[in-house]
Amino acid sequence: MKAVLGLSLKARLSLLYAVLLILSVVIVGFCSYWNVWQLFINNKSAHLRARAKPIIAHWLTDYGLVSVEHPASKLTSETAAILARDLTSKQSSAIILDNTGKIIAKGKRLPEEPDAPPPELGQFKKAMSGENEVTYFANLNGTSLLVMLIPLRPRPGSPKVFGVVQLSTGLREINRMLFRHGAMLMAIVALILILGTVAGYWLIGMSLRDLQGLVKTCNAISSGDFSKRVSVNTTQGEIGRLATSFNQMISQLESIFASQQRFVANAAHELLTPLTGLKGCVEVLLRGAQDDPATTSRLLKAMYREVNRLIRLCEQLLGISRLEGSSHVHRQDVVVSEFFADFMPQARLLANDDRLVLRQGPYARISVDPDLLKQVLFNLLSNALRHSPDDTPIEITWRLLPDFVEIQVRDHGEGMDATTLSHVFEPFYKGRSHTCSYKRSGLGLSLAKSMINAHGGTIKVESAPGKGTIVSFTIPLSSN
Amino acid sequence: MMERDTKIKILLIEDDPVITEFLRTGLKYEGYDVVSFDNGIQGLDSLNRNEFDLVILDIVLPDIDGFEICRRIRAMGQEVPILMLTVKKEISDRVKGLDSGADDYLTKPFSFEELVARIRALLRRSGRIGQGKMLNAAGVVLDPSTRHVRIHGRNIELTPTEFGLLELFMRHPYRVFTRETLLNRVLGYDFDGGTNVIDVHISHLRKKLGDRPARLIRTVYGVGYSFQPGDDAT
Repeated sequence: MKAVLGLSLKARLSLLYAVLLILSVVIVGFCSYWNVWQLFINNKSAHLRARAKPIIAHWLTDYGLVSVEHPASKLTSETAAILARDLTSKQSSAIILDNTGKIIAKGKRLPEEPDAPPPELGQFKKAMSGENEVTYFANLNGTSLLVMLIPLRPRPGSPKVFGVVQLSTGLREINRMLFRHGAMLMAIVALILILGTVAGYWLIGMSLRDLQGLVKTCNAISSGDFSKRVSVNTTQGEIGRLATSFNQMISQLESIFASQQRFVANAAHELLTPLTGLKGCVEVLLRGAQDDPATTSRLLKAMYREVNRLIRLCEQLLGISRLEGSSHVHRQDVVVSEFFADFMPQARLLANDDRLVLRQGPYARISVDPDLLKQVLFNLLSNALRHSPDDTPIEITWRLLPDFVEIQVRDHGEGMDATTLSHVFEPFYKGRSHTCSYKRSGLGLSLAKSMINAHGGTIKVESAPGKGTIVSFTIPLSSN
Repeated sequence: MMERDTKIKILLIEDDPVITEFLRTGLKYEGYDVVSFDNGIQGLDSLNRNEFDLVILDIVLPDIDGFEICRRIRAMGQEVPILMLTVKKEISDRVKGLDSGADDYLTKPFSFEELVARIRALLRRSGRIGQGKMLNAAGVVLDPSTRHVRIHGRNIELTPTEFGLLELFMRHPYRVFTRETLLNRVLGYDFDGGTNVIDVHISHLRKKLGDRPARLIRTVYGVGYSFQPGDDAT
């Protein structure tokens, strides 16, 4: 079994096909052989009976056995001998039995006429009880014989049986014909098997060829060439559909891969600026600035800030990549008003007390990771604080939607134009702003988007230059 | 070639405080006068009012980008050499930078040593400092371009390390260099040996210069070495 499992799909399919073919052909051959044999036997016995019937009828009238009170008394060796002789030929021989089962006459005279087998008591009794078609096989000196018993009655249909005719014939003829038939059948079976196996192997190979193409493409793709696609002759059929789905999957992977590469390139790019600062400081120190303690301290402090900036950036990058799988979202049921009761004091540490305005919305329970929700809100609030004048309020509200709660953060600041708006969720996009771009990573909004998406919600930004900015995002309602 | 008695003045426009910090410190240490701004408007304004020998310009700035600043400087008719700093490695960006009027560019993260070399090359090309200018002090004449050294008209052969040391000393007369600094600047930051290697090279150099013990290249005890041409004029 293990050896079979180790074979290729093509070999296994071919093997299975050949086994099924052999099985079906053998069954068909056997049935056919049996049918033909049955047909021969029936034919033979019908033929014998058809020949015997008129002879017996004749004999009955000739010897006055019809409508006699006791026909058994009239059955003598002499009369029986005549019937037996009439029924005997080169192919068949007859014996006559009386109602006790004793042989009273044998038909064989000439040596070329076949011998008759001794009567069998059980079969004889069946015939005596009135059964007309008793046929069985017997064996005499190694030759098989077909034996028929015909009950003798005074007239057809009479219940009185006074003797039995036993006709027997050799089956050699039939057997020879059957052998010829069998041999022919075997030859045909062998031919079918050979042709069938070859054709089957070819057909399986044909239908697996697309599969082989698939394997080749898979290999090309696993060695990094995402531009390869499976080419199939048809989109129908299992393999065609498989190839279509496979191609779709690869396209999907290719675009994910490309966006990953873009992200990595952007991230590396973003890391380069702080690294430039670090490298430059180290170089200047090594070139002699280290000889002056004041300069050394200044450069070291700058380097310390730069390292912190690198760490912050790395943490944000990690945050994004962690949210790619939602396994790090620890949801719990949270009542929105209670969440904000906890959140607002923390948020007020960020800004002047009177700048943050919370407008209570309706009662709602949401299914959310409160830590992530806090991070999202901190991100949005620090954006709002950065982009609006110190004397304008920043409003937080929420409202109910079907299945969701929509939370809104609104500022009355500088807003942004359509170009900036269309890029705002792209990682590392910073827009054009008068605030120092070096302090920001450009990851805040894309991080917020990842967090909201990990909850199954959506986030959108509405803004126009000078009109302030509204960021709204949805969080699913708790299901119980 | 007109010899300036004042220091070379460099205008730095860069919004990253750490990069600004090390460029200011490092360039000052190299003997340049650096004025820096973290935005384009103020930078351009300062360029209008003062004369600079070189501008170092970052491309990504909060207000106007480096390309635009470049175009405006050229539109003002200023011939000052401009060195651009960029994080982008794409050819199109470099071409854009050069097209907008920049003379050279460096991609971040760059080596400070390379930056100094490029500044020197730009200044030389623009004629702000003499072409292949000879360094001349106390009868020692050093040609940085041909790497020839003559002392009182007599050619002497120096190893690259000795040449590097002498050039550094002659570019910064009277400055006291620690052994560590000399090691880093002449043998590279990667050199992983004791600083007494420098003592060996200095003693070879003194011998070749025919220097009377500790006259021209003077040992500053507990610190390092210093080049003192004036004392030898006697």
